[in-house]
Formats: sequence, C-alpha cells, structure tokens
Amino acid sequence: MISTKKRVRAVALLASAASIALVATGCSQGASGGSSQTSGVTINVVLAVDPPPASVLDEFTKQTGIKVKWSNIDWDSLQTKIAAAAAAKTYFADATDVDWSRVGQLGRLGWFYPMENYLDTKSLKTSMPQITSFTDAGKVVGIPFDASFTSTTVNKAIFAKAGITTMPTTMDEYTSDLKKIKSEGIVQYPLNIPFAASEGLSTYWYQATAAFGGTVLDGKGRPQFSNPSSAGYKAAEWMMDALKSGLVAPASINVTDSQGMQTLMAKGQAASTFSDYSGNVGSLYDVPASSSVVGQVEYIPTPGVDSVATNLGNPDGIGIPVNAKYPKAAAKFITWFTSEQSQLDFAGANGPDKVISGYALPSRLSAVEALTTKGELLGGDTLSSMLKTTVRPVFPQGAPTWYPDFSRAVNTNLHAAATGDLTVAQAIAAITAATKKLAAGS
Amino acid sequence: MTVGYATDDRPALREEPGPVRRRRRAIDPLPWLLVSPLMLFIIGLALVPAAFTIGASFFRVQELNPPTEFNGIQNFVKLFSDSAIVSSMGNTALYVVIGVVLSTVLGIVFAMVLQQNFRGRSVLIAVLILPWALPGVVEGIVWVNIWDGNTGLLNSVLTSLHLIGHYQVFLGQNQLVTILLIEIVQVWQITPLSALLILAALQNIPGDLYEAASLDGASPWQIFSRVTLPLARPGITVAMVQAVIATLNVFDQPYVLNGAASTGSSLTMETYFVSFQSLDFGEGYALSLLITVVTLIVSFLVLKLVYRPVEF
Repeated sequence: MISTKKRVRAVALLASAASIALVATGCSQGASGGSSQTSGVTINVVLAVDPPPASVLDEFTKQTGIKVKWSNIDWDSLQTKIAAAAAAKTYFADATDVDWSRVGQLGRLGWFYPMENYLDTKSLKTSMPQITSFTDAGKVVGIPFDASFTSTTVNKAIFAKAGITTMPTTMDEYTSDLKKIKSEGIVQYPLNIPFAASEGLSTYWYQATAAFGGTVLDGKGRPQFSNPSSAGYKAAEWMMDALKSGLVAPASINVTDSQGMQTLMAKGQAASTFSDYSGNVGSLYDVPASSSVVGQVEYIPTPGVDSVATNLGNPDGIGIPVNAKYPKAAAKFITWFTSEQSQLDFAGANGPDKVISGYALPSRLSAVEALTTKGELLGGDTLSSMLKTTVRPVFPQGAPTWYPDFSRAVNTNLHAAATGDLTVAQAIAAITAATKKLAAGS
Repeated sequence: MTVGYATDDRPALREEPGPVRRRRRAIDPLPWLLVSPLMLFIIGLALVPAAFTIGASFFRVQELNPPTEFNGIQNFVKLFSDSAIVSSMGNTALYVVIGVVLSTVLGIVFAMVLQQNFRGRSVLIAVLILPWALPGVVEGIVWVNIWDGNTGLLNSVLTSLHLIGHYQVFLGQNQLVTILLIEIVQVWQITPLSALLILAALQNIPGDLYEAASLDGASPWQIFSRVTLPLARPGITVAMVQAVIATLNVFDQPYVLNGAASTGSSLTMETYFVSFQSLDFGEGYALSLLITVVTLIVSFLVLKLVYRPVEF
C-alpha cells in the first residue's frame, strides 16, 4: 500500500514537472515563418483604435473563415511593442499599425511585408490618395484605413459675434480676424496651439510651415527652415507671436493636441485651431456629450500666404509584420477592412450598428464622396475637395528613418521657445543642428 | 521530547572521528523540483535578461545601422556626451530626493495615524491603497486636470478662495516647480505602500515600551524620537528603498504631465527615446544598466544609513 506521504510526494513531483513544462512552453517561441492558410485561422489585429462591432467582425468570419482577435493599445505602447517584437524577431500580431511617421524606419528595417506581395497597390493609388504617405523607396508598407489630415477649424458663431462672416483665406487675414475676436472680448484666447512637447506640436509647425509656403525638409532630409526668410522660420515666429500677443492661452505651453481640441475648442474657449484634424467636427465638436459648441464649428480651407494652403496628411495605416503567423489571412482582413463598403459601414452610412466609435474619415475617396452625397459627413464637401486638391504627405519622398528623433528635436525646442527658455532663433538653430546631425547619420 | 528532526536516526557525522568515510547523502529531488518553476521564472525573466543587458551594453546595437559589433565603453561615453541624457540625470536626482523625503515623511505620519484605533480605520486603509493600485498613466491624466492652467481644479479652488486673481500656469514655467509638481503625483502613488510598510513595523513594537517610557516621564515627542522611530527603522528602510526604486524609474508622470520637455524628462524616458525612437538598443542597454547600478548603490546607501537591526 502506498503511504500518504509517498502519495503526496508523487503528486508534488508531478505538479512540479507540469509547472516546468508549462514554463518551458510559455518561454518557447511561437511558430516561425508565416503560414499561407487563409481559412479556419485566428488572426491577431492590434491597433490604437476601437474595433468594429462584434457582429461586423462575425460577418467577416462567416465570409472568410478567419476569426479576428482585436486588441486596442494606446499609440505609444503600440509603437514600443512593434519595435520590441520586430527587434527580437518574435510574433506580435498578424496585422498592426503602420504610422506614416515610421514608414522610413519600417521600410529600411524590413519589419513589415511590402503590401505589393498581397495587394494590387498600384490600383489603390487613385482611390486612396494618401497611400503615398506609406510608401518608402517605391514599396508600400501599409494601407491607410482612414484619411486623417490637418485642416483648419473655426467656430463660426464666435467669428460672427466679432462681425466676421467671410472666412479668412490668407494668414494675414486669419491673424487679423483672431486679433479682432480678442480685442472685442468675444473669447480671451481665440487660437488653439498645443505647445506641449509632443508630436502634436511638431505636426502643427509642419502645417504652419506649409501655410507659409514651404516644407520643413527637402528630399535629402536637409533642413529648409534655418533662414529667417524661410517658411519654417516664419511659421515658428508666427506661433510664438500668437502666444506672446495673447491670441493663445499662456497655459497652452503644456496643452497637447487632444487636450486643446477637447477642452478649448469643444468647450468654446478657442475660436479656431489652425492645424486641427479632419473628422474632428463629426467625431468631437458636433457630439453633444463631448462638446458645448454643437453646430458651430466648421472646416475652412487652410489659409496660406496668398491663398489656400496645402494640408498635410496624417493618416493611420495597417500592415503585416514579417513575423506574422498568418500573413495571407491578414492580407485578406486588410482588404476587407479598407474596402469601400467596410469604410462606409464604419463611418455610419449604413446605420449605427456597424459604426466604429471615433472613426475619422474613410481613406477611400469614393467612400468620402458617397458619405458626402448621402449627407452623412459633416463638412464633407470641404473635406472631399481638400482630399482631391490640397492634401499632401508631410514628406513626399517618405519620412526619413530618423523622423522620431527629428520630431522630438522640433517639439522640445519649440516648447522651450514657448516657455521662454529659448528665443525663436535659438530654437530654430537647435533644430537645424539636430537635423544636420541626424541626416549625417551620427 | 524532540522537536523537528529527531537526532537519533540521523548520522552524527561531526562526532565520528578519524578515518570514517562520509557517506554521500542522496540528493532529495523534491525540494529542487518544487522551487524549480520559480527558479526558471527568475532565471528566465530576470537573470538571463540582466546578463544579456550587461553584455549587450558593450556592443553597438543600432537597428538602422547594422552590423552589431563590440564597441567597449563607447555606449557609456555617448550617454555622458548627450546633453538630453545629462539633463535627465539632474532631473532624476531631484525626483529621487523629493520623492524619497516626501513619501517617507508622509508614510510615517500616515502610519502613526493608522496605528491608532478609530472607527473607519479599515476603510481608510482600503482607500489609502487606491493611488498605489492605479496605473501611473491614469494618475498622470487625473493630475493633468488638477494642475492644468486653463481649466485645472487647483486654479479653480485658489480662485474661489481669492488666493489668486486669475488662472496661473504651474507646469512648465520653472524647472524646479515643474519637477516638484510632477513628483508630488508620484509621491501620491508610492506613499500608501510606504505607510503600510512602516505601519507593519510600528505594530511590531511592544506596547510595554511605550508604557515604560511614559512612566519615566518621556514627552510624546521623546517617545516618538527615542522609541518609535528607532524601532521602526527596518520598516522605514524598506519603505525608503521602494521609494528609491520607484523614483529612479519614474516615467509615466513626467511623460504625461510634461511631454518630452527637458524641464522634466527622466532617465527612463531617455531610455525609451534612445531604444524605441532612435532604435539604438546598445545605448539603451547601457542606460538601463546605469539606472540599475545607480539603483543598487543608492539602495545600499539607504540600507547602510538607515537600517539597524531591531530585537524585542
């Protein structure tokens, strides 16, 4: 007869062995190399946006046999996970975020499959104008699933109170109108500029530079803003003058873009955001739960030096990491996710049951036009016209591989100028020095 | 009566003189197997990565500029020639000093209060632990709404009390004030654990020591400084070490409240920027190693300066 002590011992041994096996399994790497299986598989989709409703994903599963497990991770954490997984050559997701600002890095490093392997990207160029923002050295790294771009928003009710009914088309008119709003006491700080040291400030400066008729970098990554007569220099001066002259709230030195839009614009404390994001009117300013200015905010063509300026693309894309388990299944998902029909569903053209919460603007021009025709897209005519005529990538030749460092140099130095630690000249000199160093590869 | 192992049935090796050969005791595999899952976790998730980090910090590991090659102490040299990193070292030192001092003082105060028996004590302990349980990012967002110069709660309260005439900008204007305000948020997070650690130490102090001190005519301050504080030193030490570790690794609070601005950027933020934005993992490993070494040194100093063994 086996004694109780021995039995306990045997069970303990078994449990320990099982635990070791479990740990070993957990530590082992997943499947290496992608499977070409496209049915009966579960793919992991990781993005920094809410998922489509479960019923919509179920419908996709019924059609294709591909089950989708969706994870919504904040943007910063997501970029870290993508980099960590790719550097360690481990599986992270089958389809995940491709940010336009990282396209240079991702293209060079080969962390994502070229989408040409799976989709006819050439045919997509006409229907998805912003696909160029995801192209590096002729290869498409990701497919845009929305068409976010920087655009100017104004609170027409505030402008009207100051007697302004014709919207400005040039920077001089725009600045003069904001000064009038302030001087008449309609709002204390009419302009929203997010001066916190983060990406939103960099993007704002790029857009202001475009409005002054220039670009920040040339095709070889050389700074185009060092000279005081350059558009980038003037843009920085205009932003700092706006702060010093009281057009912008002093507390904006620590306001991020989302805070500025959600508190200052949506609460009617600012009359305009020069570099706002397309889609914010429908997804934020006209939503009673988040706004006290419903029906008052509209897009206007972005003012430029002599006339309307270009708008800079800020789209979100989706791609397939090279360590994906089911790249072909992921490609099928991306085809479905970025199709005109799906985008119309997500944007609310076919009822509220298929809507993705906070979905900005379809990346397909045809979907934008269809939504505009149906009257489902606020400011659709203006947005659609901008998409066709004035929207350009921030870096037409593709974002440089050192973009994240460049952006940090931009926003930390412009922030320091806003807090008074640096003059505009010193900030621009510091950004120029950093850019030259980065472009030289040191 | 014997307690524990009986001595009669075990070989009395020490007592056997001369040439008697020691019999090798058979190794009992059970204890090893029982601890092996935990050992595997510790080895796999702590020791191996640590060893890898130490080794890799002496290599040039730049994803955008391969190949990876040995470069001696170049990564460490680069750290000290990078003005952003040097500036973040100063900021981090301030976070540590402010955070450790404030969380320890407040931890002692809270522990003294919680040591008293009063109605609702358990509820208070449960509420006190909440900030510690919250993620740093969430706390950062909560405190953005307190410090905010446009719509912040602090401005609203100060204006209502007529202490200020108009809304003030607290964060970002002055480096020391910015660091102090950011660190207050972290202190709010780590103080509950400090208080509970110190409370546990206070509860070990026998009541008759307080009684004897009172009978000897000691004032409340003398009782606190001569009885309570010295005997709570082990708990205070542990609380201070956890505060050192937390403040040396501060990330969420400065990142959420102050962005990438040099006025508040910490060493761990720079590690993130170097590793995951510049993709210079070699320098990132070196910086991580530096933070670990500094954490060990500072923790050891705290241990040497504050810890005293206590026996009752």
